[in-house]
Amino acid sequence: MHIHAYEKLWLAASVLLILLLLGSVTYGAVGPGVAMVSDSEQPVDATALDEDERFSEPRVEQVGENEYAAYVVAFQFGFQPDPIVIPEDSTVTFYVTSRDVIHGFEVAGTNANTMVVPGEVSEITVETDEPTEYGLICNEYCGAGHHVMEGKVNVVSQAEYENQTSGGDGE
Amino acid sequence: MGRNETAHAPADDVSGDTEEFDPIGTLTLIGIYFTILVLSWVYIYYIEFLGRDLVVVG
Repeated sequence: MHIHAYEKLWLAASVLLILLLLGSVTYGAVGPGVAMVSDSEQPVDATALDEDERFSEPRVEQVGENEYAAYVVAFQFGFQPDPIVIPEDSTVTFYVTSRDVIHGFEVAGTNANTMVVPGEVSEITVETDEPTEYGLICNEYCGAGHHVMEGKVNVVSQAEYENQTSGGDGE
Repeated sequence: MGRNETAHAPADDVSGDTEEFDPIGTLTLIGIYFTILVLSWVYIYYIEFLGRDLVVVG
């Protein structure tokens, strides 16, 4: 079969393009460690979150050296705790669940973004850098007040974080 | 007529390596298209996606 030299050229280019796409996704997973939202969490009883040890009192707690867990409850129409205060330069795992309908959990302008399904716990782990304030929005239509459903994720300095937790926040 | 001319060409092609048909314009267009694809992929994935804060790692 005769294939024109130019055609060989762009066939090779397409194969190269596919390899580049696959290669960069692989690089993302291996290098920076980009991962998907975990589905390993056990289901919870959405109607009895107040009896759940993690979600009866939505909070941020230290679970290891420089590792924090944030237990967040989404509801019509807001997030608890609000604001979610986490320290800089740390690894934070968000455990998010809903007590009513399907919500979204999107830290605006970042890659932290997951669906929040009642009865399920969405788990995402992120790494924080320097202190900043992020907006937190619901990106799944959840009812008449969907457009006002928002929260805050505040990344604060280590000192400020310790100050806040030892000072006893009123949550 | 026209048929005779086209019937002539393949016989030529099979025997010789000389490319009579030379679509340099198409090659240029495809080249530009590929460059745009590669540059936008690099921008979207490496700069926009990986460069954003709070990369999900688990």
